Amino acid sequence: MQEFRIRRVLIEKGAENDSLTEKILKRLPDVPREAVDPYATALPQGTAEMDKESLRLMNFKGEFLKPCPGTKKYICCGYQILNVGINCPMDCSYCFLQSYMNQPSLRIYTNLEQKLEMIGDYIDKAQDKIFRVGTGEFTDSLALDDLTGWTEFLLPFFSHRKNCILELKTKASSVQSLLKSRYRERIVVAWSLNTSRVIAQEERRTAPLEERILAAQKCQKDGFLVAFHFDPLIFSSKWEEGLEEAVELLDRYIDPKSVIWISLGSFRYMPSLKWAIKRRFPRTNIFDGEFVTGLDGKFRYFKPIRIDMYSKIAARLIQWHDDLGIYLCMESRDVWEQSLGWAPDTSTGLSGFLDNRVRKLMGERLELNGL
Amino acid sequence: MKKPLQSTPLRVEISDIDLNPGPFCMSFNFSLEQLKSSIERFGVLNAPYVIKGSDSRYTVVAGYRRLLAIRELGWPEVLCHVLPGNFPPLEALLLNLHDNIIHRKMNEIEKAMVLERLNRYVKQEALMKEFMPMLGIPANKQNLDILLQVPELEEQLRISIATQRISLRVAGLMMTLNSHDRLKINELFTVLKLSFNQQWEVIQWIVEIASREGRPPKEILEDDALTEIVHDSTMSNPIKSKTIVKMLRRRRFPSLVKAENAFKKGVSKLALPKGVKIIPPPFFENRNYRLEIGFSQGKDLQEKVEGLSRLPGLEQITDFWKGTD
Repeated sequence: MQEFRIRRVLIEKGAENDSLTEKILKRLPDVPREAVDPYATALPQGTAEMDKESLRLMNFKGEFLKPCPGTKKYICCGYQILNVGINCPMDCSYCFLQSYMNQPSLRIYTNLEQKLEMIGDYIDKAQDKIFRVGTGEFTDSLALDDLTGWTEFLLPFFSHRKNCILELKTKASSVQSLLKSRYRERIVVAWSLNTSRVIAQEERRTAPLEERILAAQKCQKDGFLVAFHFDPLIFSSKWEEGLEEAVELLDRYIDPKSVIWISLGSFRYMPSLKWAIKRRFPRTNIFDGEFVTGLDGKFRYFKPIRIDMYSKIAARLIQWHDDLGIYLCMESRDVWEQSLGWAPDTSTGLSGFLDNRVRKLMGERLELNGL
Repeated sequence: MKKPLQSTPLRVEISDIDLNPGPFCMSFNFSLEQLKSSIERFGVLNAPYVIKGSDSRYTVVAGYRRLLAIRELGWPEVLCHVLPGNFPPLEALLLNLHDNIIHRKMNEIEKAMVLERLNRYVKQEALMKEFMPMLGIPANKQNLDILLQVPELEEQLRISIATQRISLRVAGLMMTLNSHDRLKINELFTVLKLSFNQQWEVIQWIVEIASREGRPPKEILEDDALTEIVHDSTMSNPIKSKTIVKMLRRRRFPSLVKAENAFKKGVSKLALPKGVKIIPPPFFENRNYRLEIGFSQGKDLQEKVEGLSRLPGLEQITDFWKGTD
């Protein structure tokens, strides 16, 4: 299990009395604590710029449940983000948070538990809609779970709702907290997968490929639905053999029939991210491919390269099993058609496809078929 | 009101003054000729400021160029303002900065020297808030980080920056390379005289080609075809620049350049009327092509539209870029 070292806990004014603050502090009895003003963000000298070793407990004033902004120019999946915190103890070179975040430290929103009732009301009111909710957009869903205990209260909360599922996205292999839980319904545990080379070179402090898939196997055997995200696919001369290895491991350990979906996405980045990455990881070679400016202003691989990568990996996955719910993340209709042989008309169409996967894999037992 | 500066006027022997660029120096890449002829004609109009050290040698605070000119003129001594030995170094730096800033335009290296020296005494927030605007530099952390490192660069590079042959932004990119690679790139830019934007692109291409091919950037720069163009005496510099940029772009983006060429080839076969262009979507990312018709008068437009409608093969236009170039 990957352990993340927390050197200090910063408790923002306003977060002191939150239930999550109390739980976290109990789990970190020997770590120095400091009360801080919400506006005080200066780092002590010598602290790394993203300050991944400080846990900052804060009372979040923003919206907890928000639709993923996606991009208007490409087809998106209609996923809802549950804001549990921001920043991650893992350190992937390509992480968008490096240019997205303007404040350091691992930020945990300690008033999440108090807000669940409100979130629940919002979800319950839209009974004709399936909410696909995830916590893995701004942090890893499981990496800090031993400290935050997110799964202890999120699993029962989502398991009891009728029209939603919770997807926990991770690059970790520690799943004890999940296995200890008695809740399985409406929970999807998803692993971000990549080639062993990309994991070793670019995804620091994450679990190796085989460990991730073995963790997925444990969860699957214990009754969880699983999902996989091959994202970001990074082009190199050896990408095909690397991904072949990943699919072989899936084949060896995973039952494809209870895989709810597999997404494919290629490395894309806002121009400002490149310089943040180059500053922190000058030796990375994730920029070696042929990147061009996409319709949304992000750099992406030149279209034929993306199509080639998607179509090859999709073909290999379909060879493993022909009903995996494969979809593309933030791609155009054109790329969908040429890579997968079909395309949803719009983002709404992709949402419908994924909702159908939810109905198909969970529907009968959860009475979702009427939705 | 601020107390007047306490200094003592004194004739100081030139040999007693340390004329290496000292802790307060902010002069780089200058010529002394004009200053020498002025001093020869009118003498030193503003006496330099110096501080006497414990070893009895004088350190220059302000007037470094004047003192160098005097030395070159062979004068044995000069009237100086001698500041007390305990004069605070930050005050000395500010004195020199103000002396310089009102008299002349500083080059980017000199501005970097100011910031690098001030950085020893002043917080970075103050450098950005107070001193970068004073020096006419957009105040942001990225610029400051580059400027603080610039004084450590090799002299050839500092000269390129001071003479605006390369921009600070490009210099920032060069700092990510090793000394040998950046000197090689500097040599190339000295010959080619590329625009700053082209320089920015070319450096990235070289580094990324090198990374992809698993070779050091210097090997890309020492490539036979590239070297041949650089040394081709029959080519003008603008042609050399264009050829090298094209060559590097083709190597950096082989699939894209191939698609662009295939597109051009496909369109050329259509025999479009003069002044009519088919413009592809940027990088072929979407599927919407545009038609551009240049015309002078309505009649001209009508003829071109009619010509277009009769053009054979127009209805079979396809994604030409997917073909072979």
